[in-house]
Amino acid sequence: MSVLVVSLIVAAVLFAIGLYGALSQTNLVMIMMGVELMLAGAMLNVVAFWRYLHPEAYSGQMFVLVLMTVMALEMAVGFGVATARFRSRGSVEMEEAVELRG
Amino acid sequence: MIQVLFVVLFGAVAIWFAYKVFTTASMMRSALALLFSMTAVGAMFLALQAEFLGVLQIMMMASEMVVMALFMIMYMMNPGGLAAMEMTHQKRLSIAVAVVAGLLAVGAALFGGWPLATEAVAAPAGQTRELGLEIMERSMLVFETAGVTILVAMIATTALAIRRPA
Repeated sequence: MSVLVVSLIVAAVLFAIGLYGALSQTNLVMIMMGVELMLAGAMLNVVAFWRYLHPEAYSGQMFVLVLMTVMALEMAVGFGVATARFRSRGSVEMEEAVELRG
Repeated sequence: MIQVLFVVLFGAVAIWFAYKVFTTASMMRSALALLFSMTAVGAMFLALQAEFLGVLQIMMMASEMVVMALFMIMYMMNPGGLAAMEMTHQKRLSIAVAVVAGLLAVGAALFGGWPLATEAVAAPAGQTRELGLEIMERSMLVFETAGVTILVAMIATTALAIRRPA
């Protein structure tokens, strides 16, 4: 089994664990942790693809930088929402956030 | 051979701590488990010879998880976030969706028929130089867009979190 396949399998497992977290957790901060893990899996895929398929194309590394930006933004906006939610309702439990239900 | 060993080792560490994020008894420990998992992913980057990205990942995650831990302490029902608590819903559905998605991705990894490149990667300093050139030449628009997006997110997040008069 090549290093590429091992890396892709690790990334797939990280993505699956993150997906489980994002779907199953009720706390906003824990949901964000799930999304972070999914993004980490995607980043690992990109690095492995860059290294073993196109090591001459540095746009692959550039894409990892963009993914890191997305991770940081996800955290910042998520905590902004958490702060607003905490101020208005005193909790960041998403089970209680049903006002948008149609 | 050594590279395979390190990739497998750090991969196992990353997966173990990712698993612990959602199975440990407190959110504070979850944040620490996520920090270790992300650091292991950064170490995998190093093992995959993407040195700049590996160091960046480890440094970024260390600071990001400190912020995350602070927010957890601020927003938890139990100060310090060290008491055990159950915070899950639709558990069976989540496990089923995650297993199916994971199996599909593992299947794609195993049966993808990847045409492996034979050339060696550049030395770390050469890689950083090439990445810098990529950012300042071909991918400049992408890089600038990412920068502007960060600025917009900063303003939007501040506007969102600011205290409003009742």
